[in-house]
Amino acid sequence: MNLEVRHLTKRFGGVAAIDDVSLEFPSGSLSAVIGPNGAGKSTFFNLISGALTPDGGHILVDGEEITGRSQAAIVHRGLGRAFQVAQFFPTMTVRENLMAAVAAHRGQWGSLARRFPPPGAQARAEEIAAMLGLAAVADRVAATLSHGDQKLLDIALALALEPKILLLDEPTAGMGPEERARMIDRVQHVWAEQKLTLIFIEHDMDIVFRIAERVAVLCYGRLLAVGTPDAIRADPAVIAAYLGTEAPTP
Amino acid sequence: MKEFLREGGVALAALVLLLGAPLVFSSPAFEDFIIRLSALALFATSLNLLIGGSGMISFGHGLFYGFGAYAFALLMQRTTLSLVSALILTLVLAALVALLVGVVCIRLKTIYFAFVTLAIQMLFYSVIISWVRLTGGDQGLQGGIPRRVIADIDINQQSHLYQFCAVLLVAGLFAMRHITASPFGMTLRMIRDNEARAAFLGIPLWRPKLAIFVLAGVFAALGGILASLFVSGAYPEFADWPFSGQAIFAVMLGGIESFLGPLAGSAILLALNDIFTRLTEYHGLVQGVVILLFALGLRRGVLDFLRVLPGRGEVASR
Amino acid sequence: MDLEALVACFASPACVVTQASSGLIVGLLLFLVAAGLTLIFGVLKIVNFAHGTFYMLGAYIAYSVFQATNSYGLAVLAAAAAMAIFGVAFERFLIARVYGGNVLMQLLICYAVVLIFDDLVKLVWGADFHAMGMPEAFQRAPIFIAGGVVPPFYAGLIVLSLCLAALLGLGLGFTRMGKIITAAAYNPQMVAALGINTTALFALVFGLGGGLAGLAGALAAPVRSLSPGMGFSILIESFIITVIGGMGSIAGALLTAIGFGLLRGFGTIGFPLFTDELIYAAMIVVLLIRPSGLFGREIV
Repeated sequence: MNLEVRHLTKRFGGVAAIDDVSLEFPSGSLSAVIGPNGAGKSTFFNLISGALTPDGGHILVDGEEITGRSQAAIVHRGLGRAFQVAQFFPTMTVRENLMAAVAAHRGQWGSLARRFPPPGAQARAEEIAAMLGLAAVADRVAATLSHGDQKLLDIALALALEPKILLLDEPTAGMGPEERARMIDRVQHVWAEQKLTLIFIEHDMDIVFRIAERVAVLCYGRLLAVGTPDAIRADPAVIAAYLGTEAPTP
Repeated sequence: MKEFLREGGVALAALVLLLGAPLVFSSPAFEDFIIRLSALALFATSLNLLIGGSGMISFGHGLFYGFGAYAFALLMQRTTLSLVSALILTLVLAALVALLVGVVCIRLKTIYFAFVTLAIQMLFYSVIISWVRLTGGDQGLQGGIPRRVIADIDINQQSHLYQFCAVLLVAGLFAMRHITASPFGMTLRMIRDNEARAAFLGIPLWRPKLAIFVLAGVFAALGGILASLFVSGAYPEFADWPFSGQAIFAVMLGGIESFLGPLAGSAILLALNDIFTRLTEYHGLVQGVVILLFALGLRRGVLDFLRVLPGRGEVASR
Repeated sequence: MDLEALVACFASPACVVTQASSGLIVGLLLFLVAAGLTLIFGVLKIVNFAHGTFYMLGAYIAYSVFQATNSYGLAVLAAAAAMAIFGVAFERFLIARVYGGNVLMQLLICYAVVLIFDDLVKLVWGADFHAMGMPEAFQRAPIFIAGGVVPPFYAGLIVLSLCLAALLGLGLGFTRMGKIITAAAYNPQMVAALGINTTALFALVFGLGGGLAGLAGALAAPVRSLSPGMGFSILIESFIITVIGGMGSIAGALLTAIGFGLLRGFGTIGFPLFTDELIYAAMIVVLLIRPSGLFGREIV
C-alpha cells in the first residue's frame, strides 16, 4: 500500500508548520523522516493519521484520498501509528492490551456475548507479542514495563490493527544504546515480515543510515531533500541545515 | 467459558445459602439487613460500573436510584399493573431517562461530567420536593405499595421480601459481572486507561460510554425498586446527594478495582451505620471520622487491599 | 406562573428597587462564597465540597461572638479570620494528603468534614434554628429609593460586597501575590520551578477562600436563620454559579451570582414554583454550549 502526500500544508496561527510538502512512500518501503527539532515531523504524522486536518493539499493511500477523514476511518483504511510518548493501557497486562486491541480490530469491542477474550484473540495477541519480543513480559502489567518495552507495546498495539502502512514516531526516543539496537532490529524484522510501508521519525542518524532505504528531510515545515541515505548525507542543503553536526540524540 | 461456570457456581451457592439461611436460624434483623444491603449493593455496584469500570466519575448516579423507587411506587399505586410488570416497566423507563441524561452528559470531560450529573440529580430532587401532589413532597410518598403478590407469593411478609431481594441481588450482580467480564467490559477498561488510544483503535467512544451509562442506570433503578419495597413507598432522601455520597463511600471502601468491592463496602457501611445510630445521636460525626480514617489511612478499598496484585501467571480476571 | 404580577412589578420602580435589592443580597452573598470556591478550583484544581461548612461555621461564630460582645463588626471579623485559619488547617492537614490522587478521595474527605461539622454544630449550638437578629447599628428606618424599600443592612451589604469584589479583582490582577495566584492557576509546576513556595501558596488560597465563605456566613447571619444544614444548599448554589461563570473567574462568578440573585428576586413574583429548576437547567445549557463556563478557561 503506498502513501502519497501532495502539497500538504498546515498552519497554526500565522506559522506554517507544514508548508507545501509533496512526498511519495512506495509500497513496502522503509523510509525515515528527519529534521531539526521543530521541523514539523510530528505534525506531519498527525496530518497523515487524521489527528489534524490539513489546510491544503492531499493525502492519498493507493491513489485514494483520505484527506480530512477521521482517525477511525483512516485506521480502517490500513494506517497504523505508534507515538512519541508510548500510548497503551497501563492497568492491563501486555497480553490483555493486545487481546483487547485485536478484539477491537475484529469489531468485537461491544460484544456482550461471551467472556473476554473472544476466541482467537489470545493466539493472535501472543503472535504479535512474539513478533516484537514481548513474549517474556506478556503477563506483566503494562505500567510496570521498562520504557523500551512500553514503546514496543505501543508498536504492537498498532500492529494489532493489521496496518499496511505504519508510522513510528521516534521509536528509540529515550533509550540507551542496547535498547535502541534491539528496537531497531525488531522494527526491521516486523517490516520485512509484514511487508509494510514503514515510515519512522528519528533523531539518531546511526539508525537512520543503518536501516532506511529512503530519507526525507524536513526543515521549518518544508521538504528540504529526499533520497537515499548516502545522497542525503552528501546534500549541501541538508548539511547546512544541521550545520554539519549530527542532531543530538535525545 | 470455565470462568463463567465457576462464577455461576459461586452465584448459585451464594443464592442457596441466602435462601436457606432462614430455615436454619430465624433472625428478622438479618433478613432486614440483607434486604437493605441488596438495594444499596445493587446501587453501589452499578455506580462502580461507571467509576471503576469505565473511568466515568458520576456524582449524580442517585438520580436513577431515586427514579426507580418513585416510578415503581407510583406505578404500583396508580395503575393496576402486577408487581413484575411494574418492575419491568420501571426499568425500561429508567433506561430511557438514562439515555436522555447520557446523551447530554457523555461528551463532557471528567469534572464537568461529574457536575452535570450532580446538577441533573439535584434538579430531579427539587422536582420531587416541589411536586407535592404527585410525590408527597418532603414527606415522601405515602400510601404504601399494594398488591405485593407474585405468583401466589405475598412479599408483604418480610421473609418473602427477603427471598425476593436475595434472588434479585444475586441475579443483578451476576448480570453486572457478565458485563464487566465481556469484551464490552474490556473496551470500557481501555477507555478508562487511555481514551485517546482506544479511539485510535477504531472504537467510537460515545457508543460504549452511553451504553454503560444506560446499563448502570437500569441497575441503580433496580436497587431503588428494592428500597421502595422495603419502605413501602419512596423518600426524597433516595435521590438526595448525601445518599450518592454514601454509595461513593461504599464503593471506595470496598474497593473500586474489585468487582465485589461495592458489595463488601455496602455491607460494611450498613453495619457501621447500624452500630453508630445505636451508639449515639451524632452518627454523622462518627461516620465522618471513619471516612477520614479510611481516606487518609487505609486509602485503598478493603477488597483491593486483600487482593493479590495483578502480574501473577494468569490472565488477571476481575 | 404569574406573569401579570411580574410585568406589573417591572412597571413600578418601587417594586423593582425592592425586589432588586433583596435579589442583590442573595446574589452577592453567593458571590462571596462562589469566589472562594472558584479560586480554590482555579488554583488547586480541587473541588471543595466542604465549602458550605466554612459558610455555616462563619455564621455560627458570628452569632456567638455577637451574643457575647454585642459588636457586629467584631463578629464579622472574628468569623472571617477563624474561617481563614480553618481553611489553611483544612488544606494543610487533610487536602494536602490527597493532591493528585483520585478525585473521589478528595470528595470523600470533604464529605467527611461536612458530616463531622454538621454534627459538631448540633452538639455546640443545638439542632434548632437560631436567629441572630439585626444588629442595632442597622435597626433604622429603611432607605427609600424611588419608592422602594431598602433595609439599611441590605444597602451596607451590597456596598461592602461590591467593594470586596473590586478589591479581589484588582488584587488578583495587579498585586504581585495576585499575579502569582493567577499564574499558579495556569501552571503550578512552572510557578514552583520559579522558586515560589507553592505549599504556602496553596494554603493561602484555601485560607482566602475559607475567609470569604466565613465572611459571607457572618454577613448572612442577620438575615438568614442558622441551622446545621445551611451549608449544603449554599454549596450547591455556589457550585452552579462557579460552573456557569467559569471555574477560576472572579468576574464570571460576580456576574453570574448577580444574575442568579436578580432571577430569584424577580422570580419569586413571576414564577415562584420553579426558580430553582430554572437555575439547574441554565447550568446544564451553559455546560453543553460552553463547557468551561461563560468566562472560564479551558480545563486541560
